[in-house]
Amino acid sequence: MATVSPLREAKEGEIIAPGHTFGSVTDKISDIVQNDTIAIGWLASLAFAFMMLNILAISAAYLLYRGLGIWGINVPVSWGFAIVNFVWWIGIGHAGTLISAILLLLRQRWRTSINRFAEAMTLFAVACAGMFPLLHMGRPYFAYWLMPYPNTFGLWPQWRSPLVWDVFAVSTYATVSLLFWFVGLVPDLATLRDRATNKWTQTIFGLLAMGWRGSAIHWQRYEVAYGLLAALATPLVVSVHTVVSFDFAAGIVPGWHTTIFPPYFVAGAIYSGFAMVLTLAIPVRQVYNIKDFITTTHLDYMARIMLTTGLIVAYGYGIEAFMAWYSANKFEVAVMQNRFTGVIRWEYYMLILCNVLVPQLLWFKYVRTTPSVLFVISLIVNLGMWLERYVIVIGSLTRDNLPSSWGRYSGTIWDWGIYLGTIGLFLTLLLIFLRVLPMISIFEMKTLLPEAHPHGHGHDTKNHGHQESVK
Amino acid sequence: MSATPSDTSIASIQRIALITGIAGCVLALLGLVIPGCTPHVFRGWLVGFNLFTGAAVGPLAIIMIQYLTGGNWGLMLRPTLEAASRTLPLMALLFLPIVFGMDYVYEWSRFEKVHHHPELVDQPLYAGIEPHDHELEHKLPMLNQMFFFVRVVVYFGIWGTLAYLLNRWSAELEQKHDKSILDRCASLSAPGLVIYVLTVSFASIDFAMSLEPKWYSTIYGAMFGMGQVLTAFAIAVATITLLSYRTEILKAIQGQTMSDMGTLLGAFIILWAYLSFMQFLIIWMGQIPEELPWYVARMMTPPWRYVAIALVLLHFAVPFAMLSTINVKRNRRLLAGVALFVCAMRVIDLVWLIVPSFDQNEKAFVASVPLFAYLVYAGAIVGIGGLWLATFLWQLSSRPMLPSYIPEGGAHGETAHA
Repeated sequence: MATVSPLREAKEGEIIAPGHTFGSVTDKISDIVQNDTIAIGWLASLAFAFMMLNILAISAAYLLYRGLGIWGINVPVSWGFAIVNFVWWIGIGHAGTLISAILLLLRQRWRTSINRFAEAMTLFAVACAGMFPLLHMGRPYFAYWLMPYPNTFGLWPQWRSPLVWDVFAVSTYATVSLLFWFVGLVPDLATLRDRATNKWTQTIFGLLAMGWRGSAIHWQRYEVAYGLLAALATPLVVSVHTVVSFDFAAGIVPGWHTTIFPPYFVAGAIYSGFAMVLTLAIPVRQVYNIKDFITTTHLDYMARIMLTTGLIVAYGYGIEAFMAWYSANKFEVAVMQNRFTGVIRWEYYMLILCNVLVPQLLWFKYVRTTPSVLFVISLIVNLGMWLERYVIVIGSLTRDNLPSSWGRYSGTIWDWGIYLGTIGLFLTLLLIFLRVLPMISIFEMKTLLPEAHPHGHGHDTKNHGHQESVK
Repeated sequence: MSATPSDTSIASIQRIALITGIAGCVLALLGLVIPGCTPHVFRGWLVGFNLFTGAAVGPLAIIMIQYLTGGNWGLMLRPTLEAASRTLPLMALLFLPIVFGMDYVYEWSRFEKVHHHPELVDQPLYAGIEPHDHELEHKLPMLNQMFFFVRVVVYFGIWGTLAYLLNRWSAELEQKHDKSILDRCASLSAPGLVIYVLTVSFASIDFAMSLEPKWYSTIYGAMFGMGQVLTAFAIAVATITLLSYRTEILKAIQGQTMSDMGTLLGAFIILWAYLSFMQFLIIWMGQIPEELPWYVARMMTPPWRYVAIALVLLHFAVPFAMLSTINVKRNRRLLAGVALFVCAMRVIDLVWLIVPSFDQNEKAFVASVPLFAYLVYAGAIVGIGGLWLATFLWQLSSRPMLPSYIPEGGAHGETAHA
């Protein structure tokens, strides 16, 4: 790794450490990729992640061989871990889209340091999420039946089912996220192509850069395309998890059918997504020594978004509990009784602890700017958001309106195997990404430098004080 | 760069508003002596009260969000929004008439009376109310007059405190130009928003949702509160764009700031539409008897179904389409037009949310309502509106209409994000 160092560490409010130049930014970010040595730590992490990925391979292979009976699902709980994990992973992806699209449109310049990385996280999270509905079908090779295509056996999707909307919501989301990520990469791929010294990397980056030469017309088209994709991606931040919430709310299962679900699911998705961005960003900025690019100011802002969305989620829990009492409807009351005193109570208490109580620490600036504490809280929120979906799915399906349709559920070793396996898939993809593509947008980082603003007001590296902070 | 509008236009509008307001209130009060119109006086009053309470409370949310996130648009709108928030004492005062008409307005209030005094059933107002009802008895600890009034006092107390502090500190900021005051405002705004959301949610349940005491929806508070914020924002944008014709200094607001106001107005409209449509879609898909009556009254009963369709088209589709084109946002006249149009739609939305609750109890609305009642409704809404507007304009002209303190890095006018 080249020895590019800023003058000093970034102070509060600065989104890039002072002292960087156009050259030093390019060098520092691309050296992580174009470096002949392979760090032992990276290799060890990849080996570990790959081992977990193999758990997925084994669990999925055995599942296809034996069938869905190896999972814990049963009647009445036909949606077990698969749906819990699907919602969890899809939710995680949302932070990337929010950072890349909405924060771009809101002109939040601090997003520049984290958007590439977060978008990659989105893609990998969607890939993991996609596994679950496919495997849950039992016969994944018939997945194309979900698509409306002309056929002779009278097969047609049920358009009134939110599950069908999900297919389109998630596939649109994956497509737009991929395009957005790739379009944003093109100028940087050209930089890597131009810096590459061996034939292979020149060819690969050259192909991916699609002939980018950085001419004015290229930049002009790039800006238009990127702006359009951002506008396209923005409604997706809301629509995908809204449709996911319909999977539950459209049914009249107790605890699922409630009108607050769409906004509360969207907030929960962003909440868990930012928790995951922090879980990944905090070690990465440490290991790759890029604290001058991902500063404590970034951590502070992300923690504030987490606090805000966490409070919205808490509002959701609160209004559900209140409305259960207010409704005077015995089925609504039974749902809350089940959560507070029934079989699902420990999961529910844990979820309140993880998602509502612990994150209140984020009110303190010290907590928001201390990476180690923030890292622990982000892990707790990740766990809490998984538990939330567990309580929603399992809690309601095991306690339907009629006691005769009550049941029990617990995940089997194969449920856990697939879940841990997707974490392996996620980490493997992420580690490869960190090594082969620039994890921070090189050309966008340069726009944060004073050099990029020859007629600026002399505080361009600063985050405009109050004006662009977030909540 | 402070600007107190010296021209007489504001004063004359204020005078017209005051006269219209008083005339409207007199018209509404006439309903008290016209046979069969008494209930409608209070019901119309409730619509007007809810509409303009939203216009007085909504600004607090926008001001506090602006302190936390920044942005030129909010800086420029802040004095206008603050003036709107200073109308809260008026709205507290205008709540008082409802105290005397609780039984005409709230079914649960009638039930409370009948529950304690079953003999009242003989009176026409209480006819048909069962003295025992499992659901309403369950809700008595919350839905009773005493506790309701206590809650209203608490709501106005909390909103008033927030408005008082934000207004006072902002005046202090104007005088001292001290950044620490700005930090103090931000420190209040974070917990302030939490308290705001909670009070507005419960207030919307109390003032509007409880009109149909057996109906419930968890998104209602968010939907109703979003409507209030939209009302407040539309009024502020309309005010500032219209006044900018008359005062030279307000012409500083253009280009990017204008565009941002247009974008935000569009965003608030989308959020309102999103929350409203989510409630509809989930209840429509669920199709269960506990939830359906609310939409049956509003979407299947003749006068209201057309209002519902009109809301979709005129409260959402038309302003959304207009704001999606950049020209509207850079064109003062059109932006003012769209903002005023949204204000008008807010009236229709509030009427649609509140009034169908009453005719459920009376079956056919058109048949049972005397013709004069329509005038009473209009009088109450226009009356409260006129009084509110007069107070708002009085407050608006009592302080500079643009902030003189601009924090570092913010509000360079057109250059900041050029």
